[in-house]
Amino acid sequence: MGGLRTAESLRRSGFDGEITIVGAEKYLPYNRPPLSKALLAEDKEFDSVAFKINTEELKADFVLGNPAQSVDIDNKVVVLSSNEKLSYDFLVAATGLRSRKMDFQNRVESGRFSLRTFDDAKRIRSAVAPGKNVVILGAGFIGLELAATLKKLGCSVYVVAMETTPLAPIIGELFGKEIQNRHEAEGVHFHMNNSVKDLIGEAFVTGVILGDGISLECDIFIEAVGSLPNTEWLEGSGLDNSNGVLTDKTLRAVKLDGGLIENFFVVGDIARFPYVNQQLPARRIEHWNIPIEGGKRVGREIANAANPGSVSDFDPREEFNPLPSFWSDQYNMSILSYGEPKIADEVGLLEGSLDADFIFSYRRQGKLVGAAGIGLRRELNKLRNEIYL
Amino acid sequence: MIKVHVDMEKCQHYGQCVFEAPDIFKLNAEDRLEYLATAEDSESANVKAAADVCPMQAITITE
Repeated sequence: MGGLRTAESLRRSGFDGEITIVGAEKYLPYNRPPLSKALLAEDKEFDSVAFKINTEELKADFVLGNPAQSVDIDNKVVVLSSNEKLSYDFLVAATGLRSRKMDFQNRVESGRFSLRTFDDAKRIRSAVAPGKNVVILGAGFIGLELAATLKKLGCSVYVVAMETTPLAPIIGELFGKEIQNRHEAEGVHFHMNNSVKDLIGEAFVTGVILGDGISLECDIFIEAVGSLPNTEWLEGSGLDNSNGVLTDKTLRAVKLDGGLIENFFVVGDIARFPYVNQQLPARRIEHWNIPIEGGKRVGREIANAANPGSVSDFDPREEFNPLPSFWSDQYNMSILSYGEPKIADEVGLLEGSLDADFIFSYRRQGKLVGAAGIGLRRELNKLRNEIYL
Repeated sequence: MIKVHVDMEKCQHYGQCVFEAPDIFKLNAEDRLEYLATAEDSESANVKAAADVCPMQAITITE
């Protein structure tokens, strides 16, 4: 997605050079959020999630199922898994994330799932049937969306997570507790302050052993324990890639010695970019709109650099300061969040009431850094411009 | 003129399009999306941006 949005921005900014988009998956770029929701619930096909691509406008070559394995920054060459070499004038790293996997003593694979790709979603779907027992490890957004969807498909659902309250580290205790209440009202069971110590089963998963010693029987075990940046191809390239790739405020990659690489940009989940206003370390943001905003910015920047002054309304000094946003649909709950609630030092119920629709505000040193809620869409949208990051 | 279509089966009324193309999209008093089905060519960039930021990818544009 980050690659596609960058390419679109390049063309819309008048760039007429060659564009090659390299991807690890065999699919053209697609929209991941429906994987845990409509695609799974309604067993839809790839077309329903594929991004609409205007191929005439884009004029890009797609190299699919052939991830980059390394880069030579001095000689401006990317080496693909096939050993094919691609030379470049400008490079955009937008290799995204993969699911984090737990390391269990029992290595049984059948019945064990995670969700990041279209193929992952199809595998889960083919295992699901009414009456199946599902254990989901992780009570983040993916874990909870899966819980809601699988419950709707007639499964018995158990959520296991290490925190006390789902989502509390992200959107606060009260909001998280309310989401848990609504899941429990739908019949989802929670084992919080807990963990999965090991799997049970020989040919296939038949259950899990929890950290507190309890065993849960299950047919399907799904790990939803976060993701890891796909940056192995950048090892040894002299970049700061300890957690994603450190960039400056224009999304240019920063070297370990602090220098900038002028023709190397980072877009999406793997970009660890600095705050413009907050005195906090640079951060990665795994939200859907970040590759859109980053791709737009970087496409304009490269088009302008390739042909100086050609992008008339582009100011290269402008600092990248996107408004992170995410949403989540679970049952009839429609959750929307702006900004970065998790950096707040003060959380308050701003409007509505917990048993219906509501908005929470998130402040840091008195300034609004996030707003999130269920429903009350127009009221929430009004707060966007006040968020200070 | 450009034609704008929103797949109302997909639309979840998040209103992200409203910020990119406020003259074409709006949330009404019930927080439901309303939009103009045709737009001037000068709105093309805004409507494309609106289609990009739609979480449900429900917006189609024909030029």
